[in-house]
Amino acid sequence: MTEVIEPMPAAPAIPAPGVPIIELRQLAVEYGAGDRSVRAVDGVDLAVHAGEVVGLAGESGCGKSTVANAIMQILRPPARIAGGSILFRGEDLVDKGREELRRYRWRNVAMVFQSAMSSLNPVMRVGDQFVDMMRAHEPVSRNAALARAEELLGVVGIDRRRVRAFPHELSGGMRQRVIIAMALALEPQLLIMDEPTTALDVVVQREILQQVQDLQREFGFAILFITHDLSLLIEFADRIAIMYAGEIVETAPSARLQASPRHPYTRGLMESFPPLTGPLRRLVGIPGAPPDLSAVPPGCRFHPRCPLCVPEQPVMFARQTTERPVLRELEPGHFVACHAAGAST
Amino acid sequence: MSQLLPTPIDLPQAVELAPLGVRVDRRRRRFVPGWLRLLLGNPKGRIGILMIVGMVVLGLIAPLLASRSSAVDFSLLDARQAPSWHHLFGTTDQGVDVFAQVVWGARRSLLLGAAAGALATVIATILGVFAAYVGGIVDDLVNLVTNVFFVIPTIPLLIDITAFLHTRGMLVMILVIAATLWAFEARILRAQALTLKNRDFIAASRVAGESTRRIVFGELMPNMVSRIAAAFVLVFYVAILVDAGLEFLGLGAMDKPSWGVALYWATVNSSMLQGEWWSFVFPGLAIGVTVLALTLILAGIDEVSNPRLRATRVRRHLARRALGRAV
Amino acid sequence: MSEAALEVRHLEKRFAADARFVGRRSYVHAVDDVSFMLRPGTITALVGESGSGKSTVARLLARLYAPTAGSVIYRGKDVARDKSRRSVLRYRSQVQMIFQDPFGSLNPVKTIRHHLERPLRIHGIVERDEVEDRVHELLRTVGLVPPGHVADKYPHELSGGQRQRVAIARTLAVEPVVLLADEPTSMLDVSIRIGILNLMLKLKEERDIAFLYVTHDLASARYLADDILVMYAGQIVEQGPIEQVLADPLHPYTKLLLSAAADPEAGVETKRIEVRKGLASAAVDPPDGCRFVGRCPLAIDVCSRVTPALVEAHPGQAARCHVTAPASAGIAAVPSTS
Ligand SMILES: Nc1ncnc2c1ncn2[C@@H]1O[C@H](COP(=O)(O)OP(=O)(O)OP(=O)(O)O)[C@@H](O)[C@H]1O
Ligand SMILES: Nc1ncnc2c1ncn2[C@@H]1O[C@H](COP(=O)(O)OP(=O)(O)O)[C@@H](O)[C@H]1O
Ligand code: SF4
Ligand SMILES: [Mg+2]
Ligand SMILES: [Mg+2]
Repeated sequence: MTEVIEPMPAAPAIPAPGVPIIELRQLAVEYGAGDRSVRAVDGVDLAVHAGEVVGLAGESGCGKSTVANAIMQILRPPARIAGGSILFRGEDLVDKGREELRRYRWRNVAMVFQSAMSSLNPVMRVGDQFVDMMRAHEPVSRNAALARAEELLGVVGIDRRRVRAFPHELSGGMRQRVIIAMALALEPQLLIMDEPTTALDVVVQREILQQVQDLQREFGFAILFITHDLSLLIEFADRIAIMYAGEIVETAPSARLQASPRHPYTRGLMESFPPLTGPLRRLVGIPGAPPDLSAVPPGCRFHPRCPLCVPEQPVMFARQTTERPVLRELEPGHFVACHAAGAST
Repeated sequence: MSQLLPTPIDLPQAVELAPLGVRVDRRRRRFVPGWLRLLLGNPKGRIGILMIVGMVVLGLIAPLLASRSSAVDFSLLDARQAPSWHHLFGTTDQGVDVFAQVVWGARRSLLLGAAAGALATVIATILGVFAAYVGGIVDDLVNLVTNVFFVIPTIPLLIDITAFLHTRGMLVMILVIAATLWAFEARILRAQALTLKNRDFIAASRVAGESTRRIVFGELMPNMVSRIAAAFVLVFYVAILVDAGLEFLGLGAMDKPSWGVALYWATVNSSMLQGEWWSFVFPGLAIGVTVLALTLILAGIDEVSNPRLRATRVRRHLARRALGRAV
Repeated sequence: MSEAALEVRHLEKRFAADARFVGRRSYVHAVDDVSFMLRPGTITALVGESGSGKSTVARLLARLYAPTAGSVIYRGKDVARDKSRRSVLRYRSQVQMIFQDPFGSLNPVKTIRHHLERPLRIHGIVERDEVEDRVHELLRTVGLVPPGHVADKYPHELSGGQRQRVAIARTLAVEPVVLLADEPTSMLDVSIRIGILNLMLKLKEERDIAFLYVTHDLASARYLADDILVMYAGQIVEQGPIEQVLADPLHPYTKLLLSAAADPEAGVETKRIEVRKGLASAAVDPPDGCRFVGRCPLAIDVCSRVTPALVEAHPGQAARCHVTAPASAGIAAVPSTS
């Protein structure tokens, strides 16, 4: 049986400026249905342009992986897209057919999963896993696929002969590189990396990130980099989006975010990482814990933990506890969803 | 950044577990043990306990319900009667009253099951769990013994021993059943104990200064309650079946009433073929009800021994109650 | 220099790497010739990559493992081989450990009260009728309020940060002199970490506890600790006052660690590290020579033949390196016990 696989509608080699590779508009994702549903992502706007590294940071459970899975179109029940749209080069994916989506995955957008290191099949040689993956998307011969696998392993700094290795023969860092190589096999335009290095040691982590950065500069794909390690993102990403309880509360270019974070939550996050150099002072972090998504606070979701939300300022307090803030562009490229931001500085 | 208040302590989360249902009232605890209260609070556990208690009471008051002789003695005058007011469950081909068989049989069958189950479970738990925790040569030895016992088949051993001892007494049955079945349980429990022993909370109790005995019985074992209970129920069940099986083979103590004897006669008489369903159905039902009761208790234990399940149950229960009130 | 609350000398732990019964068995040298002391009111950070032997050191100190060789000196006596229940109990009433995983270190079927009550009862810290009050006091100390309510809960009803606080409260029940914390924040959410670190700082200051803080995060080590021990493949390769070591590291591995760590203060400019072969984890039957030699940019001939000793090349700062801390540069940092 021969399956004719048509290429995706010809994508312009050089994207028209302004049209992002991926754009989320008021995306909402729910887990479960009816009165027991949980809205894990609620009204997220996010765009990733060609060649850009966008970081997505936030506490555990705030919905980062859910956003990634939505972009990859791999949400499974009980998860479902409850609203908004996901545009790939301006085309909405929400009303695409299954076959089209299958081709879209990996070819256009590839993903390195949070538990990537354990996602390799333990009883299959690394090379064979490459071959299977590639042949599911392209009509290539086994040998051609193997050759490509070797080439990609070389690209991520692994000895080509390791195509014959089983996953358990590789260290955690090497396995992670194999996964990254697989994600790059079909030359996607966007690579989503969900906490790709959290399980790794600092040295290995940096080695891998360096390599990814080199590859990104060479091939020009965009990256959506998900982590809770803000200090890592500041170094690695061009632009950072901060997520809290299913919403994006601040986005800004990395340098700008580092120099002047505007959302109190972002400031709290920054306050959670002690510096390695420079003067030391007692940090305070963020009091309290993130809300249960099935019962989010009214108004600004951060208000119960917010140091700027005090009853002593009744007007502001009333707004903070009843009116949901939306992203406002305080400076070019710097968006903040906070009633008090801008007013206080 | 100076506006950030110095509150380095995270406040307890707002999600509170409604305390009503779970908090064990200390005063009442003295009269009813906490675990029993919990089990009675669980719907499945409650029904199971009620059923078992019913069975036990039936066995205890058997002399009030039927004479022992009508459960064993043949009386051809009364043979083959369908259920009636006089013979509630009818009579067999030999004229034995099936109702008497069932209530008197409850005594032997329940005692046999409970005793064999308890004995096998105690041996299995102590050897399996303790050896797994202590490890080393002790574990190796116990493992060897377990494996030897594991391959001994129950019924042939029982046949041999009863032939050798010229007795088919209850005690022998209990000992042999326990001796041949504990090894199976011990292996399951050992495997679970081995995974639990490497958990940090065990290391943490060692650092706290707990003795080995307390770690095994106070920290490890409570995590295995549902497994241990499952082991007990399984042996209980198998003991009743083995008893019935021996009777089936004609090797049981035919002069003593038990559910197994009743089934034996029903088979010998081909009652079903002759339309005398009662002599088969009622003893069978007794075994079925007992096993169902035990299974329900087991399910109850499963739920209450895991605080996570316990909490959600109680919460759901409370929610339902609150809803009921609101409507 | 104040007196040591706990000291280890030439500590060594090997794990059998195979299950052979005949012939020469091979061993993982998880901890090799490790010596250091913990002082009251001081936090000592033990840093290194995973597999370098940090947890093994902590577990040796907690007496969860018996050392293969070397001594654990507590109150002037070597307790490493004294296994009597009395001695162990006395040790446990002074030396306590906080585990990495707050989800695994509490017994899921026991209430919080049970976890705090047990040490109080085992060591007879307070009278029977004062136990409940003390439990509440402990919970308040670690910031869990209202204590009466928290005590009735089961571990799964608490968040990770709250669980770790319970774990800390449990270690405080015995009023310890030494606290061993094995990556106490690595499983916690970023926003909660700093709270736990601050709690440890507070305990150090208020109770004069000697802390061993095991971590792979240099920045949090700097935030918390006074001294640092850098571990590589089972050995301590550098030790000294933390600011001094981080500002001017002697050992090439310490330099590598430093350049690999992300630093928000450093801003957006990216640091690059040299990618080389070699592993930080403990090796099976390692040969003589420096264990870092495969990755070291400074390696010379002698490095692969002779195991370098820990030499105090700067005042108070010692390293295990033929080039940056040659034997001629200072004195051996650890006197031999024999
Ligand atoms: N299968 C599921 N069913 C129900 N709720 C889910 C499911 N998967 C995730 N959630 C909920 O959705 C929310 C967002 O989860 P998500 O995995 O996206 O978080 P995250 O930001 O990636 O967290 P982490 O940093 O821990 O990976 C959480 O509150 C989580 O409990
Ligand atoms: N119980 C054990 N049995 C065998 N090997 C072990 C055991 N514990 C640790 N090891 C080995 O010892 C080395 C050091 O481990 P560990 O102390 O856990 O490192 P770290 O805490 O620095 O990550 C590793 O190579 C590990 O595989
Ligand atoms: S001893 Fe040699 S190999 Fe080892 S760290 Fe020093 S220079 Fe490098
Ligand atoms: Mg995630
Ligand atoms: Mg460790």
